[in-house]
Amino acid sequence: MAAATRTAPRAREIFTTLEYGPAPESHACALAWLDTQDRHLGHYVNGKWLKPERRNSVPCQDPITGENLASCLQAQAEDVAAAVEAARTALENWSTLPGARRAQHLTRLAKMIQKHQRLLWTLESLVTGRAVREVRDRDVPLAQQLLQYHAVQAHTQEEALAGWEPMGVIGLIVPPTFSFLEMMWRICPALAVGCTVVVLVPPASPAPLLLAQLAGELGSFPGILNMISGPTSLGPVLASQPGVQKVAFCGAVEEGRTLRRTLAGQGLELSLALGAESLLLLTEAADVDSAVEGVVDATWSDRSQGGLRLLIQESVWDETMTRLQARMGRLRVGRGLDGAVDMGARGAAARDLAQRYVHEAQSQGAQVFQAGDVPSDSPFYPPTLISDLPPASPCAQTEVPWPLVVASPFRTAKEALAVANGTPRGGSASVWSERLGQALELGYRLRMGIVWINAHGLRDPAVPTGGCKESGSSWHGGPDGLYEYLRPSGTPARQPSLSENLNYDTFGLAVPSTLPAGPETGPSSAPPYGLFVGGRFQAPGARSSRPIQDSHGNLHGYVAEGGAKDIRGAVEAAHQAAPGWVGQSPGARAALLGALAAALERRESALAARLERHGVELKVAKAEVELSVRRLRAWGARAQAQGHTLQVAELRGPVLRLREPLGVLAIVCPDEWPLLAFVSLLAPALAHGNTVVLVPSGTCPIPALEVCQDVATLLPAGLVNVVTGDRDHLTRCLALHQDVQALWYFGSVQGSQFVEWASAGNLKPVWVNRGLPRAWDQDAEGAGPELGLRAAQTKALWLPMGD
Amino acid sequence: MAAHNLGTELDLSWISKVQVNHPAVLRRAQQVQARRTVKKEWQAAWLLKAVTFIDLTTLSGDDTSSNVQRLCYKAKYPIREDLLKALNMHDKDITTAAVCVYPARVCDAVRALKAAGCNIPVASVATGFPAGQTHLKTRLEEIRLAVEDGATEIDVVINRSLVLTGQWEGSDFIKTSTGKETVNATFPVAIVMLRAIRDFFWKTGNKIGFKPAGGIRSAKDALAWLSLIKEELGDEWLKPELFRIGASTLLSDIERQIYHHVTGRYAAYHDLPMS
Repeated sequence: MAAATRTAPRAREIFTTLEYGPAPESHACALAWLDTQDRHLGHYVNGKWLKPERRNSVPCQDPITGENLASCLQAQAEDVAAAVEAARTALENWSTLPGARRAQHLTRLAKMIQKHQRLLWTLESLVTGRAVREVRDRDVPLAQQLLQYHAVQAHTQEEALAGWEPMGVIGLIVPPTFSFLEMMWRICPALAVGCTVVVLVPPASPAPLLLAQLAGELGSFPGILNMISGPTSLGPVLASQPGVQKVAFCGAVEEGRTLRRTLAGQGLELSLALGAESLLLLTEAADVDSAVEGVVDATWSDRSQGGLRLLIQESVWDETMTRLQARMGRLRVGRGLDGAVDMGARGAAARDLAQRYVHEAQSQGAQVFQAGDVPSDSPFYPPTLISDLPPASPCAQTEVPWPLVVASPFRTAKEALAVANGTPRGGSASVWSERLGQALELGYRLRMGIVWINAHGLRDPAVPTGGCKESGSSWHGGPDGLYEYLRPSGTPARQPSLSENLNYDTFGLAVPSTLPAGPETGPSSAPPYGLFVGGRFQAPGARSSRPIQDSHGNLHGYVAEGGAKDIRGAVEAAHQAAPGWVGQSPGARAALLGALAAALERRESALAARLERHGVELKVAKAEVELSVRRLRAWGARAQAQGHTLQVAELRGPVLRLREPLGVLAIVCPDEWPLLAFVSLLAPALAHGNTVVLVPSGTCPIPALEVCQDVATLLPAGLVNVVTGDRDHLTRCLALHQDVQALWYFGSVQGSQFVEWASAGNLKPVWVNRGLPRAWDQDAEGAGPELGLRAAQTKALWLPMGD
Repeated sequence: MAAHNLGTELDLSWISKVQVNHPAVLRRAQQVQARRTVKKEWQAAWLLKAVTFIDLTTLSGDDTSSNVQRLCYKAKYPIREDLLKALNMHDKDITTAAVCVYPARVCDAVRALKAAGCNIPVASVATGFPAGQTHLKTRLEEIRLAVEDGATEIDVVINRSLVLTGQWEGSDFIKTSTGKETVNATFPVAIVMLRAIRDFFWKTGNKIGFKPAGGIRSAKDALAWLSLIKEELGDEWLKPELFRIGASTLLSDIERQIYHHVTGRYAAYHDLPMS
C-alpha cells in the first residue's frame, strides 16, 4: 500500500543531530481522577471522603506549569479527632483478628494498587514533579512488595512475635517533600501487626489520599487507614488525641526536635526519621565510573529527597572530578512526566533552598559546577557539584539539600572515617572500594543506619532502614520495622502524665544541701566511699555527701554527692573505654559478665545483709541476689546470638543486619529493687557492647556500690561508672549531655518528662517509665526481649557480590 | 574508517589499575535502558540513523552468491523508498554501513555491490572465524586473500589464549564478540568496553570504534544501543566510522517500525522486501 504521510518534517533534522525528544507520559487518568472529586480533595476517613464545611483550602499545583490541579482542604482539630475516633473504633476489631486475616487484607491492597498503578504513578509524578520513571519503575513496585512482605509477617505474627501486642492507634506525620512510598514504609508494618493509622499528610499531596481511597474501596475494615490533609503544625493536636499511642514523624531535623520537646510527658512513643542527606565515600581502590553512577543514583535520579556529601580520596580526586563533570553534562532535567529525564522539578521551595545553599557556599569560598540539559525558563534546578568548601565554613556543617553534591577530599581511610563520623547525621552511606578488607572495615565503622558497599540507595522491604544520631533512631522495614509498632504484652496503655507546670529550666538544677545526720550504725562495713568512675572510687567534685537511711530511719552510711563535673568525668571515662569494649567478641563479653556473676555469688551474704537493712526479708533478699546473678549469666549468653544475614530478592549477595552498641548509655535506676534493677539494666547494656554511666537507687545506693568493688577488679576501667547523688540533678546532667548516646530513666513522672524534653538536644533515644513501677523480678519485665531491643541499634550493611 | 590507531607503548599498568565492579555495572546496564526513550519522529530518525550503523551480515555455512547478492541489494536499499519519501529522507542516501560476509564470499559481495552501483564497503570476518584457533601463518594469509578479493574491513578474531595470559593486541575497532558465542553483545560487557575506549581516548587522543555483534534483533534494542553510546561516549562516536552494529535480522524490524511510524499500521510479512 502507499505510505500515507502523517509525519512532521523534523525527522530530517533529528537524523543529523540525534538529539533526544520529548517523551511525554499522558496524565489524563490523573486529571480524570481529580475530576471525580470535582477537583476538590478532602480527607479520607473511615472509608469515606470527608469534606467538612468552612475550612481553608490550599491549591494543588503542577510544579512545572503552575497550573491549578485541585484544591485541598486544610484540616482543623475536629477533623483530626474524627479520624482518630475512626481509627480507635477500627482498632478493636483489627487488632484482635488472626494475623492471617490481616495478611489477606494487605495482599488485597497490594493487588488493588497493581490494578490502578498507572493512575498512582502519573498522579504522583504530576503533583510532585519527580521523574515518572522512578515512580513507575521503583516506587510503585516497591509499594506492592512492602504490602506483600508485611502480609507474610502478619501471617506468622502469632508465632514469631509471641509476647508482643500492637500498640494501638498510630499517628504518622510526613513532610511536604516526601514521596508516598515513605508513607508506605511506615503504614505497612503498623497495619500488619494490628495497629490502625491516622496519617497527617501535607495539603496538596493527592497520592496518599488516592492510596487511602484504594484501601477504603476494599470494603472491609474501612477505618484502619485514615488520611487527614493539613499542615505539620497539627502534629501536636494529632498526638494529644486520646488513644494515639505513638507518633511517627519524618521530616527536617529542627522540626523533629521541636516535636520531641512539645510531646514530652504526653505519655506516647515518638519515633523520628530526620534529614535526608546521604554520604558517599570513594576510595582510590574504587571502580570510579561505577561510583560516579552511585552519585547519580544518590542525588540526580529523583530517588532520594536530599543532597549528598561526597568524600573522595585525594589520589583519585582529579580523575573523579573529570568523570563526574563529564557525566553531569549528560544528565537531563525536565518535566517529571517525560519518560526520558533523569530529574524533574521539586517546586519552588526546594529550588530556593538549593539556590540559597549554593550562594552561601560561594560566598564562603566554594567552587560551584553546574551542568546538564536543563530547561532555562523554568522552576528547575540543575545538577550541582560543590567543591573546595572550607571544612569549618557554616555551609560545611549544614545539611546538603537536593540536588547538590558537596565534594571534599580525604587522605587515608582513617581520615575518611573521622570526617564521615564527625557530623551529627547518621542516615545512610555508601563505600566504594574494590578491596574487600578496606570496604568491610569502612562499612562496619561508619556510624550510619545503612551502609551500601559499592552501591547506593538500594532498598528492600526485608531490610531495616533507619538511622542513628540526629537522623533519628527509628526503623522501617524488616523485623525492626515491626517492633516499632509493638509493645510487650500487658504494657499499660498510655496515661496522660503531663505536668504542665514542670519548669524545664529549673528541674534538678539545684542540689539541696546535706548535713551530718547522726551516728553510723550497723554491723557491716560500708563499701569504699566515693563515686565509681574510671574503674576506681573517687571523691565527688563537690566534696560533699548525702546520708542514706535504713528502713528504721537510722543512718546507714554516707554516699558521695555527685554533680555535673562528676557526670562529665564519668561520660569521658565511658567514652575512653568504649573502643576496647566494642572490640571484644560477644564471647569475651559473656565471659566477663560470667565472672561478675560469680563474684556476686561470693558476695551474696554481704549484699543480702545490705538489702535486709532496707527492710527486705532475708529470704527475699537472698532471692534478689540470686536472680541478679542469673540475669548477668543470661545476658552474657544472649549477646552471642546477635544480628543475622538477610536474603534480598534481586540482590546477589547478603545484607547483614548488625546489632551495634549505642555508645555511652546512661541509666537512671529505679529506687525499688536496688540490686536487681541495677543488675537487670546493667547486664543487657554491657552484653550489647555499650559502656555505661549509672545512677543507682536513690534510697538504697549501697548495694550497687558494693557490686562496683567487683567491677573494679574484673571489668576494664571506665566500662561501668556509678554516680550517686541527687537523682533529679544527675538526671538533668545526663539528659542534657550531648555526648551521651542513649538514656534509660526509671523514676518520677516529672523526671520522665524532663528526660524526654531534654533528649531533643542530641535526639538521643530515651526509655522512660513515666513514674510507673516495673516488675523487675518477673522475667518478662526484668529480662524480656524489650531490654535487648533497646540496648543496641541496628545497622544494615549491603554486600552485593559479583566477579 | 577513522584514522588508524597508531598505537602506544604497551603499558600494562593501565590494565592492572582498571577496577570494574560487576554488580554496579549490571545495575548501570539496567538503568541505561530504562532512563532514555525516544518517541515519534525522534524514534524514526534514530532508527534511520541506526540503519547507517549496521554491518548487514550473513555468516552461514550455506551462504551462496545468490543470498549474498540479495543481502547486498538490501544494504543499498535498506528501507522502502516510499517510506523514506514520507519522512523526507529519500535523498539522504541511507544505506547500511557495510556488508559482512565470510572470506570466500567477499568476491560475490564486491561484484553484487558494484552491480548495484554503490560503494558500500565489504567487511570480512577472517583469521579462523569464529574460534581464531588457527596458525598465525594461515590467519595472516586469510586476511591477505580477503583484501585481494576487495574486502576493505577485516573483523579479526583475536587470539584469546594470548589475552587470557595477558598478552594484548591493538586495533582500530573493538567488537563485543563474534556473534557466534552462546552469549554475545550484552550491555554490561559493552559498558566496560566503552569506558575503556573513553579512557584510551582521554589518555592518547585516539578514538577507537566499537561494534556490538550478535543478538541485536529488535528496533528497540538498536535504540538502546544508540543511547548507550550517546551516554557513555557522546555524540562524536555516533557515526559509522566509530560505531557499527553487527546484525542480520535487525534491519527488517527497523523497517517494520518505520512502516508503522509512517502509516500508522502494522506491516504484514509480505509488505517489506526480504534481505
